[in-house]
Amino acid sequence: MSATATIEANKGGAQPAAQPLANHIEAKGLNKHFGKVAALEDINFGIRNQEFVSVLGPSGCGKSTLLRIIAGLIPYESGSATVRGEVIHSPRPDIGVVFQTNNMLPWLTVRKNVELGARIRKMPAQARDHAVDKVLEVLSLSKFADAHPHQLSGGMRQRASIGQALVLDPPILLMDEPFGALDALTRDKLNVELLRIWQEHRKTVMLITHSIAEAVFLSDRVLVMADRPGKIIEEVVIDLPRPRDAAATRALPQFGEYVAYLGKIMGVTK
Amino acid sequence: MSGVSPRLVAYAQVVSFFGAFLLFWEYGVRYFEVKSYILPPISAIAVAIWESRDQIFEHSMYTLAEVLIGFIAAVVVGIIIGMIVYVSPFAQRTIYPLVTALQTTPKSALAPLMIVWFGYGFVSKVAMAFLFAFFPIVVATLGGFAGTAKNLEEHFRALNAGPWTTFTTLRLPSALPAFIDGCRVAMPLAMIGAIIGELVGSDRGLGNLIMLGTASSRTDLVFGCIIVITLISLVLYAAIECAAKSVWWRGIQV
Repeated sequence: MSATATIEANKGGAQPAAQPLANHIEAKGLNKHFGKVAALEDINFGIRNQEFVSVLGPSGCGKSTLLRIIAGLIPYESGSATVRGEVIHSPRPDIGVVFQTNNMLPWLTVRKNVELGARIRKMPAQARDHAVDKVLEVLSLSKFADAHPHQLSGGMRQRASIGQALVLDPPILLMDEPFGALDALTRDKLNVELLRIWQEHRKTVMLITHSIAEAVFLSDRVLVMADRPGKIIEEVVIDLPRPRDAAATRALPQFGEYVAYLGKIMGVTK
Repeated sequence: MSGVSPRLVAYAQVVSFFGAFLLFWEYGVRYFEVKSYILPPISAIAVAIWESRDQIFEHSMYTLAEVLIGFIAAVVVGIIIGMIVYVSPFAQRTIYPLVTALQTTPKSALAPLMIVWFGYGFVSKVAMAFLFAFFPIVVATLGGFAGTAKNLEEHFRALNAGPWTTFTTLRLPSALPAFIDGCRVAMPLAMIGAIIGELVGSDRGLGNLIMLGTASSRTDLVFGCIIVITLISLVLYAAIECAAKSVWWRGIQV
């Protein structure tokens, strides 16, 4: 069923119909240990179809581990983790992953790098070329299609990394601190860009971040994690109007209140 | 000197240094009356090379063929073993440590053995060139495969890439710079291997010519051979350098 959904999604960004409120991603009583160290303890949460959820927490709280479990990259010990009702045991074609380190192959051009996922997943050549063109345009990278990664700025490389995930038009996007290695200004710009893309091509997004402002600005909901062992200690619904805007949303008094509130939670838990 | 470009000055320095060196050699041996079978003047070496040019050329081609075939065999076997170790954990536990251990064997000590096994002719010299070139290539190739960036491997896993796709698209290009580095080290070693083989026992080749020259006190010819060997090695090394230029992503981190 996931294959059909992907093909549909690839055709024109059409989302699989029905159940907008069903949980796309779900974890119940999830536990993960590295040796004797408990990395994640009793994790429970759900992310609905087309919902944007951020997981906020201090470094080392296990939020990246959580993302890797959902991505099917590492196993877990007990509890359950499901995507669209199916237990996760390996990487799925309907999930796109963006990592903190950009995953560009230095010997390929930007176009070939963005194309990589589509090639590996054996998308037909014509559909692939079309998808790559579109993604490059959406990310304002068309002019740099034939450049090599080392010729780009860090921000552009990270945009291209997002392109690597977007090219398959997956209904679910997992992002592991995608802007963590960037300077504050570039990060702000890319936040705005990510918001625009998400508003145009609705996807279920799980964003791992340690930036409170980023989480508030982008998310429908924020899950706050504490460390040792990693667990979710608070869930905050970000009830800011959509569509959001770079300047107007950040100027709202509620925006500041959310930021302050989340800051307080995270400060208390440290 | 303000009008002279720094490049020109650098060239002038190099030329005058080596010019002085050759002049010192040429006139030093005459002045100190060094016997010509100990160290002939450089001009006598040039004359010897010119007079024996046909002979030197023939032996050079013979040695060059030994070096190239031995080197290419080392490249092919090195890549094959690199791939076997990459795909097989068993080979990783057995062949990899074995290769690393054998690397320390002094290959020159194997020359008499090669002659016992493969005879006085061509094959034993190819085997020597192979033995000298093989280890740096295989060790570099294995290191290249092992050094593939972990984040890229995870990226390929997240895309459900199969082992063959991961190998050709990720591992192979990642390993290429290390592999070329291995070739860079191996090329002059292949020449050393072939020459040692010829010195130990042969009927043709530049090493053989050196032995003949030594036996008949033709030190000028011996020096001529050494110079020709060095020139051939330099050309081969330059060829590898050219190939290395196409692997331009060496050391680029993105």
